[in-house]
Amino acid sequence: MSLISEIDFGTPVSDAETTVTVTIDGFAVTVPEGTSIMRAAMEAGIQVPKLCATDSVNAFGSCRLCLVEIEGRAGTPASCTTPAGDGMVVKTQTGRLKKLRRDVMELYISDHPLDCLTCAANGDCELQDMAGAVGLREVRYGQEGANHFDAAKDQSNPYFTFDPAKCIVCSRCVRACEEVQGTFALTIDGRGFASHVAAGMDEPFLASECVSCGACVQACPTATLIEKSVIEIGQPEHSVVTTCAYCGVGCSFKAEMRGEEVVRMVPYKDGAANHGHSCVKGRFAWGYTNHRDRILKPMIRERISDPWREVSWDEAVGRVASEFKRIQATRGRSSIGAITSSRCTNEETYLVQKLVRAVFGNNNTDTCARVCHSPTGYGLSKTFGTSAGTQNFDSVDDADVILVIGANPTDAHPVFASRMKKRLREGAKLIVIDPRRTDLVRSAHIKADYHLPLLPGTNVAMLNALAHVVVTEGLVNEKFVRDQCDGDAFADWAAFVARPENSPEAASHFTGVPAETIRAAARLYATGGNAAIYYGLGVTEHSQGTTTVMAIANLAMATGNIGREGVGVNPLRGQNNVQGACDMGSFPHELPGYRHISDEIVRGLFEKDWGVHLDAEPGLRIPNMLDAALDGSFQGLYVQGEDIVQSDPDSKHVIAGLQAMECVVVQDLFLNETSNYAHVFLPGSTFLEKDGTFTNAERRINRVRKVMAPKGGMADWEITLAIAKAMGVPMHYSHPSEIMDEIARLTPSFSGVNYAKLDALGSVQWPCNDAAPEGTPTMHIGKFVRGKGNFLITEFVPTDEKIGPRFPLLLTTGRILSQYNVGAQTRRTGNATWHGEDLLEIHPHDAEERGLHDGSWVRLESRSGATSLRAHITDRVAPGIVYTTFHHPDTQANVVTSDYSDWATNCPEYKVTAVQVAPSNGPTAWQTEYQAHSHESRRIAHPAPLPAAE
Amino acid sequence: MSPEKLVYMANQIGRFFAHQPEEKAVANTADHLVKFWDPRMRKAILGYVDAGGQGLQPLVLKAVLTLKLNVDSVQARTI
Amino acid sequence: MPDFETWNEQRGGEIIAAHVQEEGAALPMLHALQEAFGYIPRAAVPMVASALNVSRAEVHGIVSFYHDFREAPPGAHVLKLCRAEACQSMGGDAIAAAAIRQLQIGWAETTPDGQITLEPVFCLGLCACAPAAMLDGKVVGRLDSTRLSTLLENVRQA
Repeated sequence: MSLISEIDFGTPVSDAETTVTVTIDGFAVTVPEGTSIMRAAMEAGIQVPKLCATDSVNAFGSCRLCLVEIEGRAGTPASCTTPAGDGMVVKTQTGRLKKLRRDVMELYISDHPLDCLTCAANGDCELQDMAGAVGLREVRYGQEGANHFDAAKDQSNPYFTFDPAKCIVCSRCVRACEEVQGTFALTIDGRGFASHVAAGMDEPFLASECVSCGACVQACPTATLIEKSVIEIGQPEHSVVTTCAYCGVGCSFKAEMRGEEVVRMVPYKDGAANHGHSCVKGRFAWGYTNHRDRILKPMIRERISDPWREVSWDEAVGRVASEFKRIQATRGRSSIGAITSSRCTNEETYLVQKLVRAVFGNNNTDTCARVCHSPTGYGLSKTFGTSAGTQNFDSVDDADVILVIGANPTDAHPVFASRMKKRLREGAKLIVIDPRRTDLVRSAHIKADYHLPLLPGTNVAMLNALAHVVVTEGLVNEKFVRDQCDGDAFADWAAFVARPENSPEAASHFTGVPAETIRAAARLYATGGNAAIYYGLGVTEHSQGTTTVMAIANLAMATGNIGREGVGVNPLRGQNNVQGACDMGSFPHELPGYRHISDEIVRGLFEKDWGVHLDAEPGLRIPNMLDAALDGSFQGLYVQGEDIVQSDPDSKHVIAGLQAMECVVVQDLFLNETSNYAHVFLPGSTFLEKDGTFTNAERRINRVRKVMAPKGGMADWEITLAIAKAMGVPMHYSHPSEIMDEIARLTPSFSGVNYAKLDALGSVQWPCNDAAPEGTPTMHIGKFVRGKGNFLITEFVPTDEKIGPRFPLLLTTGRILSQYNVGAQTRRTGNATWHGEDLLEIHPHDAEERGLHDGSWVRLESRSGATSLRAHITDRVAPGIVYTTFHHPDTQANVVTSDYSDWATNCPEYKVTAVQVAPSNGPTAWQTEYQAHSHESRRIAHPAPLPAAE
Repeated sequence: MSPEKLVYMANQIGRFFAHQPEEKAVANTADHLVKFWDPRMRKAILGYVDAGGQGLQPLVLKAVLTLKLNVDSVQARTI
Repeated sequence: MPDFETWNEQRGGEIIAAHVQEEGAALPMLHALQEAFGYIPRAAVPMVASALNVSRAEVHGIVSFYHDFREAPPGAHVLKLCRAEACQSMGGDAIAAAAIRQLQIGWAETTPDGQITLEPVFCLGLCACAPAAMLDGKVVGRLDSTRLSTLLENVRQA
C-alpha cells in the first residue's frame, strides 16, 4: 500500500471530437482540440511548473510560472491559457524560461513564511514543490519588505483552517467554490498588495455562505486551507479508495491513512459518481467512526428495563439463536424476521435476507427503503420494467430542461446538486415542484424558470395537469409512443389525462398553483429539448407515492424523454446503499433482482443453490411486523443498522410494537433509539472496517474497502454468519467477494459483477451481464426493459390526512445538508456546529398569528402526538405550511407524523401531517418521559472492581 | 392486526384500480393482496369479511372473497 | 458636500429595486447606494446580492475592488489624491506623505473631527497638470504642499 497520488493535468479535459497534434520538448502529442499546452504536456508526462492551475477548475493564467516558448511566436505565453494548436512546437524548459520562473518564485517566496519544517503541508505543498522544480536558491528581496505574515488565522470551521499568511492568492479556492461547488462563497477582497482571499463579506468561514464541501481545501496548493486533522496528525502514508457511506450519490474517496488512523478523506478524481468533488458529510464527517459513544462489546439483558451486560460474542450470538429458536418453537416459523440496512453493504444485506429466507424459513425481511423509495421500485417496474433510475449522473450534462420534484438536492445530494447547478449555469432550464422555496428555486446564480409551490399531498394532481397540457396541446412525442410504448395503454391514459378534472385549471384548485404557471412549465418540459426529471422523497412519501412515481414515468414516456443521455427519470436515493438493499432482495415479497417469491422457477434456483426449501408466500413489511407484534404473532426481530424508532412514522406505534416483542436484536455502531427496546446489542462496524460494495442512485456498484480492523471484532457480514451458524445453518464465505460471486450467480442483472472487474473498472452500473459486460449507464435505449412502456392511469385521490380547526397547518419533513438521516453519525461529528437541533420553519404570517418569535419554543401537535422544538421564522415555506427535519432524537419529529401510508407499498406519508403550532415553555411530557426512559435504558452494568490490595 | 387498518389499506389498493372494468379491478386488487400481503394479513381480512366485512368497498370485498375461493387460482396478472 | 441620508433598509431596498432590471446592474446599484448614503453600508451588501442573485462574497469583492466605493461614511469633505503614475512622477508621493502627516490619518480614513476623508484615486485625467487632486468633487492641478495646506485650511474654515 502506498499513497495514491493522482495526476493533476492542470486544466480540465476538453471534450472536443477533433484532435490536434503538438510537439512538446520533441515529443508529438495528440489531444482533443481546446486542450491547453499544459495539459497536453502532462499527457506526454512533462510537468510544466504551475501554481494557479489545477484540473478541477478552468485556467486562470495568474501565477506566470507555467510560461513556455512556442516556435514562431514572440514572448512566453502561459501554457495553461494557451490551447495546443496543430503543428505547434513547444519548449517547456529554456534558459529564458528558467530565469523567468525563478524570478516569479522569488517574488512569491518573499511574501511566504519559511517555516516549512513545522508547516502542516510539509510533504504536500505545491509551492514547496515548485520552489524545488524551478531551482530556487536565493530570494534577493529577503523577507523584510511589506508582507502578510501577521494576517490572522481563521479557525472557525470545525474541519479546516484558513491561514492567509500562507496564501499566495492564486484564486484556486475562489474558483473551486464557484466552478466545482457552485456556492460562490469566496472572493478576492481588495486589489493589488491588499488583495486577499475572503469568505463572504470578509467574515469567518463559518459565518459566511461556505457549505464546507472541501473543494477549496482540495484546490489549495499550500497550507493556507488545510484539514485540522492533518495539522493534528501529520501527512498520511498510504491510501485506499473506497465509497462514502452517506447518501445515494456514492462518492468515491481516498481514505488517507497513517497506520490504522484516518488522516483525511479525499474525494477521488476517478470516482465516476463524484469526479473528485465532495460534501461536508463525506469529506469531513467521519469522526463518528472513532467516537467514544461507539459500543465495541456485545451486550445482552433479560428485560428492557435492565441495564446492559457486556458478554462475549459467543454468548450474545448464542442468545440470539436460542431466543429466535424458542420463539419459533412456540409461535411458529413466521414469528420472527429481520430488517436489513441500507447503510450496510450489498453483501451484508444479501446475507440478512438469506438468513431470513434460508434460516428463519420465512420471508419476513424488509428494509428502510420501505419508508423512502419503495414506491419507486413498484412504480418504475410497472411502467418501465426496472426498479431503478434510468440514467447516470453525468447525463445531467446533456439535459436542456431539468424538472426537480419533491427533492432538495443541494441539501440531501449535494455533490450531484453541484453538477446540476453547473449545468444550470450553462443555461439549462429549471422547473421546481416543491412546497418550499429550496435553494434550487433561488440561490446565487441559480433561478428556477418555474417554481410550482404546490400544497403538500397534491403531486398527482400536479403531474396529471402537466400531462393534460402535453396531451391536449399536441405535445406528445407520437413517434416514441408509437414505437416504444403500449398503444392501448397510452390511448386510455391520454383520454384520462385529457379529462377536464385533470386540467391545470382544475388542478390549481387542489395545488394552489396558478393554471398558467402549470401550463407554461408543461410546455417547457415537453418542448425544451432533452428533459430530465429528478425526484426524491417528496414524491414517494405520500399515500399516493406509487401513483406519483407512475405519473412521472407517464410524463417522461409521453414526451419521449427516456432512453438517451440528458433525459430520464431519476430517483435521488436517500441512503448510501438503499438502491443496493432493494436490489439484494430485502423486500418481503421478492428475491434478489426484484423477482417475486411466488415465482417457482426463481425460487427453485435459490433453493438449489442454498440447499433449503423456501416459503412461497410474501412476508411482513416493517409496519406490518409492528402490527403483528401487538397481536402476538411476531415476537423476534433482528435489526441491522437501522433506527426505526427515530426514522419510522408514528413513533408511539413503533415503540409499542417493539415493546410487545420477546426478543429484539439491534446491530449498530451506537446505542440508538431502537436499542432502548432491545434485548441483545451487537456492535456493528463502520464502512472503514470492512470490504463490500454499495450501489448508488445511478445503479453504480462501487467498492467499499477495509482500511482498519473492525473495532468490535467482527464486520457486520461476519455477525450475520455467526447468527446463521448458531441457528444451525452455517454459511461458508471467507470474504465478501465470495458473497458477490453468489449474488452474480443467482441474479441475471448482476451476472457480470465480480470484485476483479470492479477493481479493474472502478465501478459498474447494473445490469452488468453478458449483454452489457461493462454495465449499463443509460437504460431503456430503443426498448423498455419490460418490452413496451406501460402508461398507467393515475387518479388523484386526496389524502385522508386533512387540516381542520384543531390542526390547521400542514407539516412536511425533510433533511438538511450537514445532518444525515437519524443523525446517529453526523450528530457525533463537527457537523453539529451547523445544525445542533431540529427547528420548525414557519411563515412570518403564521408565526405572528401565534405570537411566535424567531427562536421561540413551540409545541408541534398532530393527531398522533406532540413534540416541542424551536421556531425558525422564514418565508421559505408558504403560509399554512410548516417544515422540520428529523435528525435529532431530542425532538423525535416522528412522534407527530401519522400512520397513513402509500397504497401499494405502505411507504409512510411523512410529507403531509395536519398539525397545530402553539407557544410552549419546553419539552412535552412525552419528550421528558421518553428521554428518561432512554437514559435508563442505556445503562451498562460494569462488574464492580476488585477491592484494591491494602 | 386491527381490522380497521386492514380495511383501510385494502380500500386504498382498490381505489387505485377502481377506474378499470370491475372484473379487472377485482382481479388486480386480489392479485396485489396475494403478492404483497403476508398470509396472516389475508387471513385476518378474510375473517373480518366472514364477520360482515363492513367498510370494505364493494370491489374490494369481491377481491377479498376471491382469496377465499382459492388463493392459488388468482392469476399473476400485471396491471 | 451633499447631505447623505442615514442608512435605512427600506430606502436601500428602493434604490436597489430601481436598478435591478438594468443590464450589468451591480455597479449602477452600488453607485446609487453610495450617492444616497455616502458609502456602501455593510447591511446593503446581502440585499444587493439577493437582488442580483449572486453571493454576498461576490458583491463584497466588487465593493472592495473599487477604491471609489466606501465601506464607511465619509467626513464632511473628501480629498482624493491621485496616486497614478504621472502624478507620482511629478512628486505625488511627497504630497501624499504630507497629507497623511498633516491630517494624521491613513488612506480611506476620516479625521477624528469628522471633517476630512482622505482617499487615493488612480488618475483623474489631469496628467498635464500633475500632481492632481480632487476636493469635494472639484479638481485641483499642480498641487504642492503649500497649496495642499491652504486647501485644507480653507475647507476646515468653510
